Amino acid sequence: MSGMNSGRRALLGGLAVAPFVGSARAQSAAPYIVGTLFPMSGPNAEYGSVFTAGAALAIQHINADGILRRPVRIQAEDTQALPQQAVVAMNKLVSVDHAHYVLSAFTAVSKAVAPVGDRARTVMVNGGAVGPDLSGLSPYFWNVIPLAHLETQALLPFMIQRGLKRVALVYVDDPLGDAILGILRTSLPAAGGSLVGNFSVPRTAQQFAPVAARIRQTRPDAVYIASFGAQQSQIIKQLRDNGVSQPLVSYSAMNIDSVRNTPEAEGLIFTTQSTDFEGGDAVTRRFATDFKAQHNADPGTYQVNYYNAVRLFGLLAQSLERENAEVNGENLRRVLLAQREFDLVGGKGRFDDLGNMSAALQITEIRGGRLVKIG
Amino acid sequence: MTAYLTNLASLGAIFCILAATLNVAVGYAGIFSVAHAVFFGLGAYAGAQVSLLLVPDALLAMLAAALVSGVLSLCLALPALRVRGEYFVAASLGLQMMAVTLFSEAKTVTGGIGGLTGIPGPRLFGVEVSTLPVALGALAVILLATALLMRSSFGRTLQAIRDAESAAEALGKNVAAAKALAVAFACAGAGVAGALFAMHMQFVNVESFTLDQSVLIMAMVIIGGTGTLWGPLVGAVILLSLPAGLAFLPFIPSTEVGAVQQVIYGLAMTLLMIFRPAGLVGDLSRGKSHA
Repeated sequence: MSGMNSGRRALLGGLAVAPFVGSARAQSAAPYIVGTLFPMSGPNAEYGSVFTAGAALAIQHINADGILRRPVRIQAEDTQALPQQAVVAMNKLVSVDHAHYVLSAFTAVSKAVAPVGDRARTVMVNGGAVGPDLSGLSPYFWNVIPLAHLETQALLPFMIQRGLKRVALVYVDDPLGDAILGILRTSLPAAGGSLVGNFSVPRTAQQFAPVAARIRQTRPDAVYIASFGAQQSQIIKQLRDNGVSQPLVSYSAMNIDSVRNTPEAEGLIFTTQSTDFEGGDAVTRRFATDFKAQHNADPGTYQVNYYNAVRLFGLLAQSLERENAEVNGENLRRVLLAQREFDLVGGKGRFDDLGNMSAALQITEIRGGRLVKIG
Repeated sequence: MTAYLTNLASLGAIFCILAATLNVAVGYAGIFSVAHAVFFGLGAYAGAQVSLLLVPDALLAMLAAALVSGVLSLCLALPALRVRGEYFVAASLGLQMMAVTLFSEAKTVTGGIGGLTGIPGPRLFGVEVSTLPVALGALAVILLATALLMRSSFGRTLQAIRDAESAAEALGKNVAAAKALAVAFACAGAGVAGALFAMHMQFVNVESFTLDQSVLIMAMVIIGGTGTLWGPLVGAVILLSLPAGLAFLPFIPSTEVGAVQQVIYGLAMTLLMIFRPAGLVGDLSRGKSHA
């Protein structure tokens, strides 16, 4: 908890300092506004701090490098991960703060704000939610995170190779869980495995002992967990406490402190975006070094995603400034579709017509509270 | 700025409808329901489906929403109204929890947790209109209807039931019918608010119709003053504008607005219940304990 508090202080300090760091040229002009629609209070507040840390570091780098004629500033709005609050906040960002670019997270929030951003032609970028139904919400709604179905698909060959053929699924009853269930039903048999049981849990559930008992009856080789938020570590802990000893597998939502710090999560295997923080390209190494210096911790997937989202804005706005074009939603989209490929943390990020980024994925395992690449 | 204020005002008008209609049940009839968000949700889904499948006409959507919410409230109210006071609170709590599960599971109608997207904005006779004038019009009609009803013999019956149910029954009043009609009126109004909400947001999912929302609407009524025409409106405006206003205070870090807001909410509610127990617009002599 104290680590989280110190991280929060560092984050707030970074936010306060970020607008003032940068070249003298950049400081002289009105800033570009990057709005954030993250939960900063309520049960999902942990995510808000995590997301903001990545975005704040990117802004710091953009301002320090002076790649834009104007500085970049964050305008944070608290959504509590709820759609109604998010729509009020998005309207404020668009109409009052005149945000040039908005960062979004959580499926319901993203769906609720998409019509507002679409009408205002303001680019919204999601780097946290992975529901496949987030693709194509609006021409101005982009995803810098591989959506869940792509991650699950990427894990299947690895599981078959390891002999994890009989899979039981615990999935949250929402579009994310439904999508992963669909993939395991169709693609797992095609890859040579079988789905031996699927168990849906409500999003607010916190008791999983009965699910664990039913999973044990199916005698799986592995248990796939498709959930997110505070529920994840509880599922892991209660499966282990109730005698489920088989390997647990999942997707990138597991890459948060509350899971990494759960002792029962030792050996958890999950997909994340491929990021070689030590031997990767200069952008990746700089991000990892500066993040560690500021937060005294390794960066996670979400910090990478929101760093990339803001870095993408810097690169697109830089292109527009070079051609003396206005930095607005229409022009940002035009440049995105013209260039398609960008140097981001983790390597090249490629965007399709709908604004969805595809990136290389890797398979990681939690060992001693740290992530180790295993595939 | 205008668009932002218009959006806030639209949501304000929608929540004023919710608070005003809940006030009919709570303030005039003494029926403490913590399931108002259920009927708000039913109206939202009904209005959304009308707009998506038939025609995006605001009047039609509101009518359908009022019918669905009003009729379903009767089905539920008739058995539930046999219990009084805290027992009805418990019954409505059960209904609220059951409805959230149903909203999450009835995916063909509600879209499940993923919700319904692409709902067209409000139109009147084929012309696209802003939500605000439609919501204000609906609010005016509901307030007028409430004022007229409460001055009628039906209104006096409700207030008699609120003050002494057994006495009203002894005087030959049909308590069950009066309470059921009051609930139907309140829930049909919530349905209208739901249809407006769906067309305004252009997206609805179950997260807008949870117990938290019901409690918020109840708080609006209590803070404003139960049993008054204007009190719930004052409560709705305060509770909606408070977080929006706090977001503009420069000395609160924007990342801490949510936490500060929660503290201020709690503090304001506590202070209000101490110093204005009958609400901001309520009768000062009501609610205070006398030694």
